[in-house]
Amino acid sequence: MKKYEKITEEIVEIAEKLLKENTVEKVIGFGIGIFTEEVTPIFISNPENADRLVFNSKAEMSLAKYLLNYKDQKVAIVAKPCDSRAIATYLAEDLIKRENIKVIGINGCPGIENNTACEECDIRNAVISDYTVGKKMTEEEIEAKLKDKEDKIEKMTPAERMEYFQKEFERCTRCYACREACYVCYCEQCFTEGNQPEWVGDSVKLNDNFTYHLMRAMHMAGRCVNCGACEMACPEGIDVRALAAKMCRSAEELFDYRAGIDSDQKTLLSDYDVNDTESGFME
Amino acid sequence: MMIKKIDKNQFKELFDKLKENYNIAAPVLIDKNKKTLVEYHYIDDFDKIDWDEQADSSPKNIIFPQNAPVGNDYKEKQYYDTEQDTLILGVRSCDIEAIKTLDQVFIEDEMYIDKNYKARRDKITLVGLSCPQRNKSCFCDTLGFNPVESNYAPLYIFKDGNEFWIKVKDKKFESVFENLPDGNQDKLEELIEKRINTFTESSFELDIPIPLPEKEMFEADIWEEMSEKCLGCGICTYYCPTCYCFNFIWEGKDGESTKYKNWDSCMFSTYSAHASGHNPRDSKEKRYRNRIMHKFSYHPLNYEGLGCVGCGRCIDRCPVNLDIREALKLTEKYLEEKGGAKSGKD
Repeated sequence: MKKYEKITEEIVEIAEKLLKENTVEKVIGFGIGIFTEEVTPIFISNPENADRLVFNSKAEMSLAKYLLNYKDQKVAIVAKPCDSRAIATYLAEDLIKRENIKVIGINGCPGIENNTACEECDIRNAVISDYTVGKKMTEEEIEAKLKDKEDKIEKMTPAERMEYFQKEFERCTRCYACREACYVCYCEQCFTEGNQPEWVGDSVKLNDNFTYHLMRAMHMAGRCVNCGACEMACPEGIDVRALAAKMCRSAEELFDYRAGIDSDQKTLLSDYDVNDTESGFME
Repeated sequence: MMIKKIDKNQFKELFDKLKENYNIAAPVLIDKNKKTLVEYHYIDDFDKIDWDEQADSSPKNIIFPQNAPVGNDYKEKQYYDTEQDTLILGVRSCDIEAIKTLDQVFIEDEMYIDKNYKARRDKITLVGLSCPQRNKSCFCDTLGFNPVESNYAPLYIFKDGNEFWIKVKDKKFESVFENLPDGNQDKLEELIEKRINTFTESSFELDIPIPLPEKEMFEADIWEEMSEKCLGCGICTYYCPTCYCFNFIWEGKDGESTKYKNWDSCMFSTYSAHASGHNPRDSKEKRYRNRIMHKFSYHPLNYEGLGCVGCGRCIDRCPVNLDIREALKLTEKYLEEKGGAKSGKD
């Protein structure tokens, strides 16, 4: 795959330069493990190690969340288009300082293996970047890539949908990998961790699993960027993304809002319009 | 000891016979919508057994379920499992050794015997399986375990193509197998030796003192680097065959409650949170340190053997591919630079 190799070369070049010139202290990117061929997040601070950075079809993790660990440091980050949306949302939510980060944005992202979110991606270029790698995709090219897939869950009757999600959430072990992999889930204390009141029971039972996934989905409205990191992280192969993706679509349909398109945009839940009839909410 | 050699059809017949007296669990391929995984499940059909792949989750789930009711309304009522005897078929050395660690903690430690665990465990017989090849991430031989044979299982299978050698190590089971054709012990030994030789090459060599020196490693400055990419989910602990940390929880409604013994995970921020608000492990490097130290320092100090069996599941299942082997290598390097530390027992 030439595209990935070219992107890798460009990332290495930019990272090396940034570290050599002391523009940043650290570059957050993808690398290969020492004992495996698997892609893993790496944190490079020595320019000599910049060539450890790679980008390939297995770079499935969302790196944006690591930025929250380096709020007061100057860092560069390799960002897929979806990750760049996450970074834009962090900036919109005032969680990180723009001057502290250098975004190495991937344009014309060739996609991630087995990530079904990539098939639905109509962004394909980094929405925010200081340096870009890859080749920017035109709107026609993006349109052509979009697969006309019918949404099987939307087509289901409520009873079928209930059955589908029951079968999914039955398998949930509540390891919380979906939560931890998600850039949105940065709360200091998750609702699952409180015990006064105890929203979610400790034991892994279907009703508590439902509570967890539905409550989490509610927090995704107008924030989820449909990157698919939750689904990729799930060890039980659960369709975790379905609910979050639905929240994305709802925010778009009801409020014409998409998260992480612009770092200056107001967040959906902290903004209102005096002329809003609230019809979407009431219906 | 009895050695039997049977073919697939004979094994199938044997399986059907065993089914009458035992629940049988074995590794089977399960379609999980977005993933296809090999897991231990109760089965009726011999043909479903997956002999070739290491299971993606360990048989811990059967012996030590994630949620086990252990009492009722604060009374000492126990929920001993009353199911019939269970055979867990096709358990590889790593998982057998892991069950040994669980037994050490829950049964063999005289300080406290977990009656619920014991009741369940007493009904379970492990049928081992000689590991055919090194898996993608496993390293049991680096830690000194023998992937080809383990003495802790009373029954042990060596699969060679379509032929199955069965070592019956426990006299109790001899009557079940006595009518089957005998196997030649020398030939089996030959097979075992041949298979051991396939395990020589490993890219992962390790030289650390066991137990790891507690105080020195506790204060080492390597944990932040090790855990930098850790997300803090519970996958490594939930799929680990030896991780046994648990929590007691009372759950119920309308005036009735049940006491559960549920899995806990030292990777969770709530794991050691005190009611006062204080948390001695308030950051992920402290939590990651606990995981490594428990396996390579605290467990070896308190029991015999290691708390890690090198099955590699924490590596394979980790959403960010955090590799415990890299962490151990970092430990090795740290101790080397410190001038070769003594083990925690000295």
